[in-house]
Amino acid sequence: MHGYEIANSIQRISVDVLQVEEGSLYPALQRMLIKGWVIAKWGTTAGNRRARYYQLTVAGRKQLAVEMSQFERVIGAVTRVIEAV
Amino acid sequence: MNWLREVARRLRMLMHRHQFDAELEEEIRLHLELRQQEHLESGLTEGDARTVARRRFGNVTSLREESHIAWGWEWFEHLAQDIRYGLRVLRKNPGFTAVAVLTLALGIGANAAIFSVVNSVLLRNLPVRDSQQLVFLSNPDAQGMQQGFGDGDRDFLTYPEFQELSKNDQVFSGLAASASEGPKLSVRIENEGPGSEGVPAQISLVSGSYFSVLGVDPILGTGFASDVDTVRDASPVVVISYSFWQGRFGGDRTVLSRKIGIRGTSYDVIGVTPPQFSGETVGVSPDVWVPLSMQSEIYPGRDYLSLEPKPFHKIEWLQAIGRLKPGVDVARAKASTNVAFQQILQSQTGQMSVEDRRRFMNQHLAVVEGGRGASTLRGNFSKPLQILMAVVGLILLIACANVANILLARSAARQKELAVRVAMGAGALRLFRQVLTESILLATIGGAFGLLLAHWADAALLRVVSGGTSPIPLDVHLDSRILAFTLAVAVLTGILFGLAPAFRVARVDLSSVLKGTARSIASGGSQAGHVPVGKILVVAQVTLSLLLLVVAGLFIRSFQNLAAVQFGYDSDHLLLFRVSPVSYGYKGPEVVQLFKDMIERLDAIPGIRGASLMDNGLFGGGDSNSPIFVEGAKPKAAEESESRWDMVGPNFFSTTGIPILYGREIGSQDSGNGQRVGLLNQTAARYYFGDANPIGRRIMVKSTLAPSDFVVIGVVADSKHGSVREKPQRRFYIPFFNPIGDGDASSANVLVRTSGDPGTAVSAIRAAVKQTAANLPPVEIQTMNQRVSKSLATDRMITQLSGVFGALAMILVCIGLYGVMSYAVSGRTSEIGIRIALGAQRRRVLWLILRESLLLVLIGVAIGLPAIFGAGKWISSLLFGVKPADHTAVALATALMFVTGVLACYLPARRAMRVDPMVALRYE
Repeated sequence: MHGYEIANSIQRISVDVLQVEEGSLYPALQRMLIKGWVIAKWGTTAGNRRARYYQLTVAGRKQLAVEMSQFERVIGAVTRVIEAV
Repeated sequence: MNWLREVARRLRMLMHRHQFDAELEEEIRLHLELRQQEHLESGLTEGDARTVARRRFGNVTSLREESHIAWGWEWFEHLAQDIRYGLRVLRKNPGFTAVAVLTLALGIGANAAIFSVVNSVLLRNLPVRDSQQLVFLSNPDAQGMQQGFGDGDRDFLTYPEFQELSKNDQVFSGLAASASEGPKLSVRIENEGPGSEGVPAQISLVSGSYFSVLGVDPILGTGFASDVDTVRDASPVVVISYSFWQGRFGGDRTVLSRKIGIRGTSYDVIGVTPPQFSGETVGVSPDVWVPLSMQSEIYPGRDYLSLEPKPFHKIEWLQAIGRLKPGVDVARAKASTNVAFQQILQSQTGQMSVEDRRRFMNQHLAVVEGGRGASTLRGNFSKPLQILMAVVGLILLIACANVANILLARSAARQKELAVRVAMGAGALRLFRQVLTESILLATIGGAFGLLLAHWADAALLRVVSGGTSPIPLDVHLDSRILAFTLAVAVLTGILFGLAPAFRVARVDLSSVLKGTARSIASGGSQAGHVPVGKILVVAQVTLSLLLLVVAGLFIRSFQNLAAVQFGYDSDHLLLFRVSPVSYGYKGPEVVQLFKDMIERLDAIPGIRGASLMDNGLFGGGDSNSPIFVEGAKPKAAEESESRWDMVGPNFFSTTGIPILYGREIGSQDSGNGQRVGLLNQTAARYYFGDANPIGRRIMVKSTLAPSDFVVIGVVADSKHGSVREKPQRRFYIPFFNPIGDGDASSANVLVRTSGDPGTAVSAIRAAVKQTAANLPPVEIQTMNQRVSKSLATDRMITQLSGVFGALAMILVCIGLYGVMSYAVSGRTSEIGIRIALGAQRRRVLWLILRESLLLVLIGVAIGLPAIFGAGKWISSLLFGVKPADHTAVALATALMFVTGVLACYLPARRAMRVDPMVALRYE
């Protein structure tokens, strides 16, 4: 997916709940490039325009798993705290 | 390793940042256009669609910056910006830039020059494979040859000892040997065509294992085979140095089929060493390496290879270098080698007395790390070089203070510009960094010029160090270490002189500067209780240069003392040369006859007042030392009864001019094998006989050559034999033609006293030698004064250099003081104007300025005086006849500092005196 598609898909999948400033997506992508979590290739869109397509790497998937489990732990904790109230 | 890849990615991005920027730009454009398209399709106008797309996207500029920060470029970009800006500022002030760069180039250049000598003499490892594995079994700081023995750590090994130790493969993967000192011999290229002359070349005798143990792979041909030194006289092969190959063969690759002739033997050239390799001894560059087995061809008539049946008589002449096996440390190698060495000694103690055996067995091998190679330069120059390094370090500090002062003055002038920048939102840290970048930039440019300067200065330095004749072949080329040193010095310098201005900038008082009411801080200290930085710097400069001037003064006084030393004989009109007939086929009685004939012929030359000869020579490096006992007196311990001695020819004392106090001198009748006679010097006579008359007494000499005796026939005055610095020491003289020991004389130093200019006698002397022995090569004749001068080369060098640097320091201080004082005067123009208007006399105004300058000098001197004593003590080992706190030197240096103080404020004071009160007041 290229940047625009990523922004759109975040918005679509989260059913418009997550609406961030779209520009901030790009520095984030670059930080992931530095870390080697994604790689980027230039390709052409359906509308025949040049666009940069990002793809998760193996290291990126691993990081994702780590982040997910972290996130789930936090969410779980928050949920438990809230339920206890 | 993940972070490594990350760094690599960042670097790659840094290289292609323009492409990267363009790509990011394209991505953002695409995003915005797609979003706009979407909104257009949902019915918005084109303008609205664009606005909404932009709003949703956020701030493009800050996003771009954020992405740059993410990649870690911000730092780099600011640096590039600072450098660009700094260069522009420097270009816009060419006068300032030139002065600062020149000052720094001098300071950094002096440091780089001295450091590159320090590097090649004291620090650099041999350019061989894994030099850290090399150890010396002999003493790498010694050079020469020894006969007889002294107990304690060995300087050199004998050939049989080396062979025996080579069998020990416990700790060494290989052992190499090389003659500690090699001859310079005429080398002829064979079949070069008619008229090809021999040219002197440095010869080095080495073991077959030499190149393989050192790990030197010839760039052409091969090194020696390991068995090349096993059979005597059987291996006429040589390896030549790169420079010899280039110089004599023009780099011809067919050199391996060529032959060279040395002393009538022709040798096959089998290899050429790489250009960077110049042997194991720093400061000696052999041209030709010859196997040890060819010793008798290189030194005809001598045998340094055989096992000497008399252990006291053996020739120690080899440096031995071992390559440690992996995992073996120096301590283990030392232990193991000494066990083997003790066994070798033990096998030779056959018929020794108990006392002799004890001393003989008390010999050891030091076994020390040898990666830096051998060198006598280290011992001779290590202290002088340390002192010079400190001196040029101080010079650089003084130069730094000057540049800092100029920068301070300039930063005061730049306050408006900087205040505007602060007002525009530049952070204090950012400004601090920018000013510091400018300083470092300045220092780096200065450093680059300094390197050029150093390159040129090194050649001059080497000439001074070598004492004028042929320069020591010392490799002082730029290597990474010198570059790193210079860069480090430049950056440190930049930080040092840049800090004060940078701090200043970081706390610019915005409102007052912009309103134009601020007084510049570097100005003459008009604010009470606030000592300006500029003045502190000048005081520091005075302190440091006082130190340098005192050091220079001490060295100059010491050198004067050295030059005034009385030798006990007249060193003018005295010529010396060495002849070694044994090397040219003369044997036994022929040698003695040759010497007698030669003296006779020399005596007959008009204008020559006398000629004689001696064994060790004067200021030639050699000396003999043996215990002696007075017959019938209570013997002292061996060490306490030692005396220096020499064998001298007839008329030695009248030729040299050493006064005979009583008795007679050695004459031509004292030859042959009859009762040996001898003379004592005054110190020896007093030591062994007190006030009694020694004439007629018999003295036993316990020489290692052979026990012998002599009857005292006279006493002579003390004289200097080896160096200007030597203290009076016990010495006796016996006839050259009735020598101690069983061997006949093989070589001698001939002395000639001329009545006129010694230079004019040289060709007549050469002719006389040629007539006596046609097959001897032309002798190298030196005047005594040349030898003395050469022996003082190091002293002269450090005296001259410390003098030059002292003067340089004074000039720098003068400039620094001038700067501060003229700044002070310009800051006080109105005050002075008022004073004059109120009736102050011009003389009072002059004193006002002068007082300030002298006060600064006074404070600097007061701080500097205690430091002088420390510095004096540190250099005292090099001083001669001067106390570290020599009053003359200190007083002179102090006086010079005050003169500097007066000189520096001459112009500013004159300007102050000429202040026109009307102009000054109107200006205000």
